[in-house]
Amino acid sequence: MRDQELIFMSAADLATKMKEKQISPVEAVKAYLDRITEVDGKINAYITVLADQALAEAQQAESDINAGLIKGPLHGVPVGVKDQIYTKNVRTSSASKIRSDFVPDFDATVVEGLKRSGAIILGKLNMTEFAMGDPITSAFGVTHNPWDLTRNPGTSSTGSGAATASFMCATSLGEDTGGSVRGPASNCGLVGLRPSWGRVSRYGVDGASWSLDTIGPISRTVEDCALTLSAIAGFDQKDQYMKDVPVPDYCAALTGDIRGVKIGVVREFLDPDVMGVTQSVRQGVLQATEVLATLGAEVEEISLPLAPVAGVASRIISAVERSSLHPEWLRNRPNEFHHNTRVAFTTGELIPSQVYYKAQKLRTLVRKQTLEALERFDVLVMPGASEPATVMNLEPGIRSKEAAVRALTEASYRGFFSLVSGPALSICCGYTAEGDNKLPLGMQIAGRPFDEAMVMNVAYAYEQNTNWHLECPSL
Amino acid sequence: MPELNEDEIRGLAKAVNIEIQDSDITDISYSLNAMLEAIDSINPEGINAVEPLSIILQKEG
Repeated sequence: MRDQELIFMSAADLATKMKEKQISPVEAVKAYLDRITEVDGKINAYITVLADQALAEAQQAESDINAGLIKGPLHGVPVGVKDQIYTKNVRTSSASKIRSDFVPDFDATVVEGLKRSGAIILGKLNMTEFAMGDPITSAFGVTHNPWDLTRNPGTSSTGSGAATASFMCATSLGEDTGGSVRGPASNCGLVGLRPSWGRVSRYGVDGASWSLDTIGPISRTVEDCALTLSAIAGFDQKDQYMKDVPVPDYCAALTGDIRGVKIGVVREFLDPDVMGVTQSVRQGVLQATEVLATLGAEVEEISLPLAPVAGVASRIISAVERSSLHPEWLRNRPNEFHHNTRVAFTTGELIPSQVYYKAQKLRTLVRKQTLEALERFDVLVMPGASEPATVMNLEPGIRSKEAAVRALTEASYRGFFSLVSGPALSICCGYTAEGDNKLPLGMQIAGRPFDEAMVMNVAYAYEQNTNWHLECPSL
Repeated sequence: MPELNEDEIRGLAKAVNIEIQDSDITDISYSLNAMLEAIDSINPEGINAVEPLSIILQKEG
């Protein structure tokens, strides 16, 4: 099979063909390594490529298949991992100068899960420095959006989105605090799932915000997302905030049957006067809800008046919690941070405690309002952002206080479900048709805590009845 | 809420042993004042009656 055919396959198809011995893991790893050599000079998605290690693991995976041993559903599948997730004996930098020599001596629980499932770690993916929200802060250079190299690939899991969208891995892991899995998925035309808080272990992951961080898949299809989540979900006593809730068979739950499923479309995020949603995004989401309705879902608009303030609360909470993680670096090594990261960390240190507590109280109210809505609806739907991927501002700094306020408002799109703590998935719902810039549009589907299966099944039904996931960026 | 000026921000920073560089003070001022102003303007009903422990005590699953 030609490399090009192989890399464009879904992770699920790749895994199946490996089991059937139609494709070998060695062939797959070589094809992806070739692809990285071919396009990563333009994209800069990888910080570390584990060529030798991945090839050795692929040879072992191939021997295992020949011996009739299949480790799990991702056996032989090449996967990329965000560089804040610990990998034993492999540098884990969080895209920072400060951590550029840090080599963990153990795997994060999610990496253990991937390996147990048979996945091959192809490399460590670029991100924003310490998972801050700004696309230009990585000490390893800016990652570019494969759909338009001048545009933001989505933060903070920039490399996870860009590598998956440009076929430099079969599926990937990101970390989502205020939207860092869903943002790259939205900007790069992918499926990204923020799991319920407590569903996936954060043990062995450099933290960004203790009460908001989650680890989730960024994949090209919903089935790949389900496969990847299956590998990493489940109770882990090493993460004190895990909940011991049984993990269902996510792939089996992808029936595509959504007849009678109740879908609430969040009005505030589709109102240009409230949240500044652009026409292309609005249209994409509304057309998607029409597709869902034709599949038998009961679609209804719902108002969640507190949703627009979620960005303020989530940004304040994450700013304070993030800055509390390594206060010594800000005092002893300030010049090793990117300017924007240093500004963000310092801001977090200076927020008064009463402001942080008010943000947490707001979170309680937002969460209560949304969970009440989820008693009436099986899932809620809204845009992934107000607009498609924007052109990156490569100059450090903040333009004005007003610009900072606007960023807080925009943060509501994804910060909203971060506060709720239930699962939220972003899926491509079309492309812009403006000029030559064909940019993906993102729609979020969110559900009740620990009901990832419902969220993914609604996304799967939509995906199976549209062709957006078959589009590829030209590189 | 009145906006914090740069001297006040430097004073806050000094209290937590942070030396703010001249190159950073304007951006920190934008960022901090944006957050303070935004949250000050949000006062939904019930804000004073709830506890800031949304994540741990809810029954889930």
